[in-house]
Amino acid sequence: MRDDPHVVALVTRASGGDQDAWFEIVDRYGPLVYTICTRYRLSNHDIEDVAQNVWLLLVEQLGKLRVPAALPGWLATTTARECLRVVTATHKAERLGTGLDDSALFVADAAIDEEILMAEQNAALRAAFAELPPRCQQLLSMLISDPPRSYAEIHAELGIPVGSIGPQRARCLERLRRSSAFAALGEGEAKINIRGGEPGA
Amino acid sequence: MRDGWDDERLLSALSEAMKARQAVPSWFIETGKNAFAWHNIDAELAQLTYDSSVDRREAAVMRSETASIRALTFTSAHLSLELEVTENSLLGQIIPPRGGALEIHTRAGEISTTDVDEIGCFAVDPIPDSPFRLRCRAADGTDVLTGWITL
Repeated sequence: MRDDPHVVALVTRASGGDQDAWFEIVDRYGPLVYTICTRYRLSNHDIEDVAQNVWLLLVEQLGKLRVPAALPGWLATTTARECLRVVTATHKAERLGTGLDDSALFVADAAIDEEILMAEQNAALRAAFAELPPRCQQLLSMLISDPPRSYAEIHAELGIPVGSIGPQRARCLERLRRSSAFAALGEGEAKINIRGGEPGA
Repeated sequence: MRDGWDDERLLSALSEAMKARQAVPSWFIETGKNAFAWHNIDAELAQLTYDSSVDRREAAVMRSETASIRALTFTSAHLSLELEVTENSLLGQIIPPRGGALEIHTRAGEISTTDVDEIGCFAVDPIPDSPFRLRCRAADGTDVLTGWITL
């Protein structure tokens, strides 16, 4: 994923002033930034402060990211740093004199790395899904809806004979697997040194 | 590696991916999109390099004196902005000292301006009650912008 040409292109275009590319970056990685904020258990007010700072920093760094495809790692690290700043300030105000241990405030690097991997996987799956024909999107959406929809309901809504739902499901998932967005995910997985530091550092 | 996933595994991963996106509030995404308005602003960014509410050493000293005071320092390649917040005022100084104008930018996009005297001092009054950025346009042409400040 580090070398995903799509991500590189997005960063390059946004850096050149293309607003649509910026919107796509936010859509794609918003969930990553948000999930990390929730790990720090921030209030919505604090989450908004963190988000303002993180996206602002990214806007200003766009042209300077040396490896544009390392964007998710950069976003995760920056978000974690901003969260920690907010949480430290809040915690300090609440705890004056109580001598609580600050180590309780930290979210482990390994947890952040895990979020980056999940975010990459999720972004690739959503991109792959977006490449599917509408028919497949409708079918898969019903299959993953919560609560799950029965084959009878799917038949009623999409008009697919009940006996064909299984085979169509298999074909749609096969298309998902073969999509370029999903393929990019598999290739990058070996290059795991996500945040550019030493492994285990 | 994910080539080995069977249909069930792939479908559940897809479900997780969609849920992760749906869990993000729309205001959060809007915040991110709106940040692009700051793209290509022709000012140098000053980073927050010191905040007394975070830095424990200094905070311990201040707590014994005036609990309401907060000190912030923003640093860019060409100058620093030092801010001091007390209950009633927000005072600042540009270092090294120089005169000019100081703009206060709000998230709503409003801009107000105050003077910076020859020794680099300024006062922001009233203290903004919502997040703001300061942009220092010095008489010598230096143009520096801070990140968002919440007091």
